[in-house]
Amino acid sequence: MMGLQENEFRGIIQIDKKACKGCDGCKSVCPTGAIEGKYGANHTINQEKCIDCGQCLINCPFGAPIDTIDMVDQVMARLIDKSTTVVATIAPSVRVAIGEEFGMEPGTLATAKLYGALKQVGFKILDTNFTADMTIMEEGTELVEKLRHYFLGEDTVTPVGPLPQLTSCCPGWVHYAELNNPGVLKHMSSAKSPMMMAGALAKTYGAQNIWGVDPQQIYVVGIMPCTAKKFEASRPEFYNAAQYWGKRGRTGNYPDIDTVLTTRDLARLLKKLNIDLQAVAEITDADNPLAQYSGAGTIFGNTGGVMEAALRTAYFVITGQELPILSFEPVRGLNGVKKTDISLHDAQTGKDFILKVAVVNGIKENLTSVIEEVEAGNSPYHFIEIMNCPGGCVNGGGQPTNPMGTAWIDKYKALLPW
Amino acid sequence: MAHYDYEEKKLSVSRREFLGLLGVGAAVIWMGAYVTTDLVKNRKKYIRMRAQGLYKDDGQSVIRQSHNNKALMDMYAQFAGKPLSTVPQELFHTKYVDRINLGGVI
Repeated sequence: MMGLQENEFRGIIQIDKKACKGCDGCKSVCPTGAIEGKYGANHTINQEKCIDCGQCLINCPFGAPIDTIDMVDQVMARLIDKSTTVVATIAPSVRVAIGEEFGMEPGTLATAKLYGALKQVGFKILDTNFTADMTIMEEGTELVEKLRHYFLGEDTVTPVGPLPQLTSCCPGWVHYAELNNPGVLKHMSSAKSPMMMAGALAKTYGAQNIWGVDPQQIYVVGIMPCTAKKFEASRPEFYNAAQYWGKRGRTGNYPDIDTVLTTRDLARLLKKLNIDLQAVAEITDADNPLAQYSGAGTIFGNTGGVMEAALRTAYFVITGQELPILSFEPVRGLNGVKKTDISLHDAQTGKDFILKVAVVNGIKENLTSVIEEVEAGNSPYHFIEIMNCPGGCVNGGGQPTNPMGTAWIDKYKALLPW
Repeated sequence: MAHYDYEEKKLSVSRREFLGLLGVGAAVIWMGAYVTTDLVKNRKKYIRMRAQGLYKDDGQSVIRQSHNNKALMDMYAQFAGKPLSTVPQELFHTKYVDRINLGGVI
């Protein structure tokens, strides 16, 4: 198959032929046009185009697309094995959706219950929100360096990429760009996604400074609202912790993230272990340094959230003051492309400049115009957040499927008179 | 000449009744449209509810900016140095692959 590196997962999402009714609902949400088959006939997924985002899976009214990577039993086996330190890294969006699998309302914030349940079954916690904050430090610093270089003419230590800078947190978007718009990859922030940072951090800083264990004995499980994260974790680039220790005289070859469970997978794991999330004792985990996160880290799961979090820090770094109003409304909400300008006053040089940002909410509907400008080199923006799923990770392909799923309506929306 | 006994059944709908039936029909169609509109509107409701959950988490956080996360700054101080410095470049940054020009793996 074309377009894959060695050992990368392929065909994560498959369509169950018996369940498919050929309604074309999936085609109306698929960002890459990977779904083939005529209206009324069984559909199949062209795996060379698929980016594993799982939008078809959560929107299908018949539950035909399935996630074929099931690691629940393997993770349970690791939890029983006492010589392994099993680390869970929980994405922001998991905490507001996993409750749905246990009879809570969508949006119920279940962080403390989730920590309680994970501890009870034997996980150590490295909250992805902590590494989301780290992503902001890395990606934000990168952005500030570029701004200082291009606006203020300052020299940089290492060569910087061109503006606009594109966010790199969404594995669906990264995979999409690699397949369809490789010309924009030089604009992509070099910062890893929070999950991949969590994997590398767990097996270095976590192993050495926090848990005091051999990095080879650590098994990191990404708990994600996303099926594309399963693909991302399988990429051959992400053996950085092993390489880090290799340079420092310790042998071994192991991936940064060992496996990924979606929100649905984790709910299944907890149910197999007879744990009811509603009944679990709450834990705040206040003395675990790897579970400390800021409000900026947690909003990563929303469309516009990465932008908002980055602006809070970039504004502070450049102006020397905190943003006066932290809830940055222009990048919130479910509009397709959200644009705004922020005027900045550089504290060091006293110069003023305007930072233009855009947020792309959903690749399928909203990417084309924005990315064409970037490819043509006449994009008016300096920083662009792009997420594959409409609404952001909260609506990711690994989230609980919601009975409100009504993708078939899109097909007929054009016919409706109002 | 053929002869038919059949007598056509008289359907007597008065003008008033006809207008009444028309009204009932319109109401049924209108309600259907109303329900569908609601369905279209509410199908994104769960996204908004989950998003509100995260904004609530942000709002109730004592610390709301990444650079004020003390545990994170401790990590940089004890382990990684500064953002974008050597250790972060080794561990927290990556490169991307042009998959159009990537050979096939069987």
